[in-house]
Amino acid sequence: MLNESLTGPEAGGTARRRRPKRTSRAVLIADRIADATITVGGLMVIFAVAGIMVFLVEVVVPLFTGGSVGTHTQYRLPPAEGAVLYTAVDEYNTVAVELGANGRLAAHHLRTGAMVANVDAGLGGADITAFAATLAGEEVMFGLADGSVRFGSVGIPIQVLAANGMPAGLRRLDERDATDGEAVYTPIAGGQVRKVALSFKSEEPQRVSDRPIRLLDYRLGGTVERPTRAFVTIDDAGAVRLSLAESRVNLLTRKASTRVSTSALPPLPDGLRPAFVLLTDKADQVYVAAEDGTILRYDTRDFDDPVLAERIDVLPGDLRLTAFRFLIGEQQIVVGASDGSADVYFRIQNHNAASTDGYSLVLAHPLERQPAPIVKVAPSKRSKMFATADADGNIWVRHATSEQTLLRLDAGEGAAGLVMSPRDNGLYAVDSRRQADFWSISVPHPETTLGTLFGKVWYEGYPAPSYTWQSSSGTDSFEEKFSLVPLIFGTIKATVYSLLFAVPIALLAAIYTSEFVQPRVRAVVKPMMEMMASLPSVVLGFIAALVLAPFVETWLAAVFAAFLTFPLSLLAAAYGWQFLPLTVAGRLSGVPKFLTMAAVVVLAGVLAVASAPWLEDLFFGGDVRAWANGDVGSGAPLVFFLAMPAAYILSALTYDRLAGRWLPALVPSGSGGAAKAKSLLRWLVVLGGAACASAALAAGMTWSGFEARGGMVDTYVQRNTLVVGFAMGFAVIPLIYTLAEDALNAVPEHLRAASLACGATPWQTAVRIILPAAVSGVFAAVMVGMGRAVGETMIVVMAAGNTPLMDWNVFNGLRALSANIAVELPEAVRDGTLYRVLFLAALTLFIMTFVINTAAEVVRQRFRKRAVQL
Amino acid sequence: MDAAATTTRDAFEPTEYHQAKSSQGEIIEIKDFNLWYGQAQALHDVNMTIEKGMVTALIGPSGCGKSTLLRCLNRMNDLIDNLKIKGRMTMDGMDIYAPGVDVIGLRKRMGMVFQKPNPFPKSIFENVVYPLRVDGVRDRRELEEACRRSLEAAALWDEVKERLEDNALGLSGGQQQRLCIARAIASDPDVLLMDEPCSALDPIATSRIEELIDELRGTYTIIIVTHNMQQAARISQNTAFMYLGRLIEYGQTEVMFTSPFQRRTQDYVTGRFG
Repeated sequence: MLNESLTGPEAGGTARRRRPKRTSRAVLIADRIADATITVGGLMVIFAVAGIMVFLVEVVVPLFTGGSVGTHTQYRLPPAEGAVLYTAVDEYNTVAVELGANGRLAAHHLRTGAMVANVDAGLGGADITAFAATLAGEEVMFGLADGSVRFGSVGIPIQVLAANGMPAGLRRLDERDATDGEAVYTPIAGGQVRKVALSFKSEEPQRVSDRPIRLLDYRLGGTVERPTRAFVTIDDAGAVRLSLAESRVNLLTRKASTRVSTSALPPLPDGLRPAFVLLTDKADQVYVAAEDGTILRYDTRDFDDPVLAERIDVLPGDLRLTAFRFLIGEQQIVVGASDGSADVYFRIQNHNAASTDGYSLVLAHPLERQPAPIVKVAPSKRSKMFATADADGNIWVRHATSEQTLLRLDAGEGAAGLVMSPRDNGLYAVDSRRQADFWSISVPHPETTLGTLFGKVWYEGYPAPSYTWQSSSGTDSFEEKFSLVPLIFGTIKATVYSLLFAVPIALLAAIYTSEFVQPRVRAVVKPMMEMMASLPSVVLGFIAALVLAPFVETWLAAVFAAFLTFPLSLLAAAYGWQFLPLTVAGRLSGVPKFLTMAAVVVLAGVLAVASAPWLEDLFFGGDVRAWANGDVGSGAPLVFFLAMPAAYILSALTYDRLAGRWLPALVPSGSGGAAKAKSLLRWLVVLGGAACASAALAAGMTWSGFEARGGMVDTYVQRNTLVVGFAMGFAVIPLIYTLAEDALNAVPEHLRAASLACGATPWQTAVRIILPAAVSGVFAAVMVGMGRAVGETMIVVMAAGNTPLMDWNVFNGLRALSANIAVELPEAVRDGTLYRVLFLAALTLFIMTFVINTAAEVVRQRFRKRAVQL
Repeated sequence: MDAAATTTRDAFEPTEYHQAKSSQGEIIEIKDFNLWYGQAQALHDVNMTIEKGMVTALIGPSGCGKSTLLRCLNRMNDLIDNLKIKGRMTMDGMDIYAPGVDVIGLRKRMGMVFQKPNPFPKSIFENVVYPLRVDGVRDRRELEEACRRSLEAAALWDEVKERLEDNALGLSGGQQQRLCIARAIASDPDVLLMDEPCSALDPIATSRIEELIDELRGTYTIIIVTHNMQQAARISQNTAFMYLGRLIEYGQTEVMFTSPFQRRTQDYVTGRFG
């Protein structure tokens, strides 16, 4: 029988035809296909999210890896005749140039060491006693034994020639390069040839002293057309002179003439033997350092009256100062010492400074100490990176701001010459035995570490370490500042203020529709609120920036007043409604009640606008913006405003505990209106008590000299957090509302019935039973809203002003992580530091929203479990 | 204002007139009561009076309107959309459906126990004193006293007195239902409405509840909806039989179960349909 029913009608025989009970093949196949498709689809989604995460991490990781060495070549150079004054490498790491004290300029091929050219620089056998070069290279200066100086320039000009421009009969240097004994030719992409040559020029000597020049520093300033060349000299006798050389070209004769004006700096203290001298690029500071670690800083802003501004000793005990060099920008000084330390100092404004000009030189970045005394410092030409060589041959590549050691190289012996390639992609060292080392290096992101991205960093010229985001500026020596903290702060600030605005409204609306109105009304209201969520946030941001921001700016006092008039009007209307006879109230409970509520809202708005000028005059000194700035009035109204909610709760508790018994007894009971009168009396007394308490607190705090402004309320700017709060609140309200409403509605009906049957009012039911039962769901709703606010972009881009500041001032702008990505994306060079930091911002944002949404989901799951229990 | 005093919020208290009326032994009077859910009529011309201090059982097959009638008494049906009623329902002579009547005050005079035990997810103590809490009682001694009294009346005190602060959801089904009864009587109502209070309970718990109802009789007027005719026969003094939204027969329980006037009543109580 069983068999029959399974196999179908054929076996069934005589009875009515029975449909087969076996599942048909087609159904099974369709089921399998659906199963497989859904599984694959689901897995793909997970892989996609994981893939995005992996991609973000992959882009971000190079930010935290120091540097790497590509190739290392080592060769021995022919012995030099006399000292080497100057070593330089060209932009393409083709040749290294050495300028000797004997006046010869030699170039050799960087990768093989083969000699390319060796020419006489034409200095005429002058006795060179001092030498200086600008940081950018090219411009050099010689100090001579006869007390004169000579300007010169050592160039490695680079030309790109057509393929047929390559001369014949070249000598091959390696598989790529060839030379004709003057220049190096390199075939490059596009069939062209790059020619790297040498050039040297020098000018006539200018006499500045009667004695041999011992130390010299030289800066080129002014414009290309009219350069000002400033230099500082110290002669044999210890006389320090600052000179300015101005060149003019006679338009008729085409002859250049140079006029040097010199000013003597205050004499050096007795017994101080200067070892180094440095001049800033505007020629406004001269630093003289002695071997014992004494640094003299001269203020030469007034060229004719230079003064000794400051004298400090940077080295303890008998340590010797062995290196003293500027980094790019001529503000930060690397101080190398005989204990292997290489620390970075710069000048900051400091009103308590023991100096004449209100500045002081401070140790800003203590760096890792090398094993042996520092002998050479080679700054980078494009960043705050530099290389230090010690006496044991260790060469470390470091970064001043991020304080990290990027590379540790070993050259065998203490370097006599050390230079970083112009593009920071090579490091060239020559030691005293004339052994040369060339490392091609790659240090793409020297300025970023976890510390610089998330910690305080002391940037050049800043009075103290700070969290700063500033990714672009006008000058070459500018250092990009990538601290994500102001952006994270901005995100949190925007989220907090928008939730402060959105959560009360959304939750009260959710309670209202789930507990107080007929399902029919709810069926209309809820979809309408959800429609609000479909408003594109770009539209919201646009309206916020172009309509709301000017409006709030014009009607700031009214906005303030609205925070008082709206709740007060609505509550007053609610208490007033109680006094309607129940018969009347019952009849009006439908549409007329809604209209009354709408009318009260409008009335509250009108009241706010009407009372604004009055409020402004009375409490805000006539101008809210000036008041916010701290110019007029006192902080009392703010204290009052902020203390009010807490004071109200406190006042209500106190009332119920103390006056709750005897005060209502004053109302004659028995009459029908007694309860209403009692509740109105309670409200008025509580409100009055709260107002008095707040006012007393405000008065007391103002009297004791406490200024409430400056924190949450300060200088007003038009694109501010208040506007963002409103606009983002508008975006977040529907989300929180609809999820909270669902959570409240998910509380089983029998609990609501039980509470109502106990004689509880709908409000008591909502607050005492429904809300506690749904609290995790409501919390999850708020968290989801928070996740939305954190990730929201367009509103903050358009309405927040995008100022990466860190203050809680509600009247100031902010820059959120998301907005930052949107704003800076066009400026980010692929694989550059900014590019990667933006990806890190994206990753941070991803993690923030991920954590918030996961927390929301976990809470929601718990809520669901609990809801099933009920 | 005085004329309307009978219907204002803190005045759902019996006046002399009302007391005179109720001294006749009737507490609730239902007259020509009709009810529609949208287009569908659920109650047809129901007329009955409930005697004070008695247990009145409402019986009838599923969908006959007995629960609807019960829930109309404390206006728990108010929130249902498209509900329309016609007729009068009075308690101590006061119209329950008069415009602007104080529903909250009405419910305080009518405790209700539901089909499924529905304690709040709070402690046992908070569950019992909830009606007092919403009434604004804060005095701890008064609350403890009421809690003890109600739990004793609901025959639950001895079982839970050691763990009043435990969550009520940890109690067994029967205990939860007795807790709900304790909660319903905590505010000292006049009437207890019970909507199939034993249908979700096992036989032992059911018998406990039945004993309890018997004990509460006299102190409270009890109206109980039940599917179980033995239960109605055991615990009630008066029984109303409803069928298809109409009150078919209403009278003393003994009469109803032994020699009803109506044929349909007899068919139902003898189990021929339903």
